[in-house]
Amino acid sequence: MIVTRSLIHGLASAVLAFLVLPILAVLPASFNRASFIRLPPTEYSLRWYERFFQDREWLTSLATSTKVALLTALIALALGTAAAIGLERLRGRLRGVLTGLFLAPMIVPVVVTAVALYYVIRPMGLSGTVLGLALGHAVLALPFVIINVGVSLRTLDPALLRAADGLGASPARVFLTITLPIILPGLIGGAVFALITSFDELVVAIFLSGIQAKTLPVKIWEVIRLEFTPVVAVASTVLIAITVALFGAARTLGPRERSRP
Amino acid sequence: MSLTARGHLATALLLLPALLFIAVWFVTPLAQLFQLSVSDKAGPFAPYAQLLGSEVYRRVFVNTLWLALTVTAISILLAYPTAYVLTRLKGWWWTLAFYCVLFPFWISVLIRTFAWMLLLEKNGPINRVLLELGAIDRPLELLFNAGSVHIGMVHVLLPYAVLPIYAAMIRVDHRLLLASDGLGAAPLMTFLRIYLPLTMPGVTAAAVFVFLLALGFFITPALLGGVSAITVAMLIEQLVNERLVWSLAGAASFILLAVIFALLALAARFVPLGQALVAR
Repeated sequence: MIVTRSLIHGLASAVLAFLVLPILAVLPASFNRASFIRLPPTEYSLRWYERFFQDREWLTSLATSTKVALLTALIALALGTAAAIGLERLRGRLRGVLTGLFLAPMIVPVVVTAVALYYVIRPMGLSGTVLGLALGHAVLALPFVIINVGVSLRTLDPALLRAADGLGASPARVFLTITLPIILPGLIGGAVFALITSFDELVVAIFLSGIQAKTLPVKIWEVIRLEFTPVVAVASTVLIAITVALFGAARTLGPRERSRP
Repeated sequence: MSLTARGHLATALLLLPALLFIAVWFVTPLAQLFQLSVSDKAGPFAPYAQLLGSEVYRRVFVNTLWLALTVTAISILLAYPTAYVLTRLKGWWWTLAFYCVLFPFWISVLIRTFAWMLLLEKNGPINRVLLELGAIDRPLELLFNAGSVHIGMVHVLLPYAVLPIYAAMIRVDHRLLLASDGLGAAPLMTFLRIYLPLTMPGVTAAAVFVFLLALGFFITPALLGGVSAITVAMLIEQLVNERLVWSLAGAASFILLAVIFALLALAARFVPLGQALVAR
């Protein structure tokens, strides 16, 4: 009995280590001094960080990723918040059908969504633009915003809205003074999830980036397939740092119930 | 205008922008891709016939299904005991373990795959440790084969397996286990007759998610796999970006989608997938 228990605990610990530790291997790799990646490095230096932050192409891709992520979050948040409030007001079958439709981009393989988008966006001249990429990423981010805002809407007591309405507040005033403060954690959570989705996304970006609007993951993808240079480890570390910072923000500011599913 | 009519109008106006957005940038592109795949000069279903009739393409589909199946099996086998231990942990340990499961979720799949390339490389740390221990004489070819694809994909998909199983496990009433124990059942019997059946819906949901996600995998097999074992997602990318045969890419996409939706419809009859999806 005790043997079985320690076996199970040992296996679980190994699995948890397997989930986290390999990702951390990227960090020491970025501090290599040599011109190839050696793990662990024999000599440490910030040489490849200097290279990354002085290289025009890497910096441009970082800027492109940032613009795309911000625009994605803006689109997904505006549309997703309204949709989540709308869904909350619906009942019955229609609500189920629309929820399914909004969440469908989570089920359809990203490569299929990407090819389909590329097919319609290319003739419009939107391929290789920040807008085109943001539209694609917003399709993928929308479900996360709707889920996050939806969760925080369920903590909103409808009696409060009726009371404000009965006391003569306009719908705009009810929204600003009651609904908005209560769903704010959900909005922040949704925004952060949208930002992370866009920053990390590669498949849609491979198709829509073209030559003019390469995002950071697309640039990493192109370089990885050619050579194993520590500068890719630096780029990956930068991406991890952005994600962890946003993840931290979501955990501190996001809806409380999410932290204990 | 009556109050209810005004209410309905407001609801419609709230939903409309997102509906239009999804219609224009998701539904229409998919519909156009479908239209393209069925309007080939050689006949309406020629691209489908070409894909399913050719030995080479058929092998890609079989490979992808087999890969998704084995990755799902490994993920479930690892996730089940892990989720169980998560239910037994408390306080700080629980938080730490839970973050270990959630952390990889938000790191780009590209970077997780890159990390495995670093570790499994010919001169990478795993080979060097094995060499120094004297376990091997020369570096093993750990990359670009079925093994590395499995490791990379299980690493990405494991959290999707842990969470639904965990959700099912915390709903189990522990008094049932005590009762079984008190009635003299051996621990193995209690597990097989009570705990496993009660947690089975979680396992099913986990298996469905992992399998569906694995079917569409692109980045990990493209970077960690060999050239011989390509997945349907890689085939679609190649058909578009290298060979420019859109009709075939469309047909491959819709065969993949058909498999996914058929499976989803089948699974929805057994488990409330919606709940598990949102619990993510």
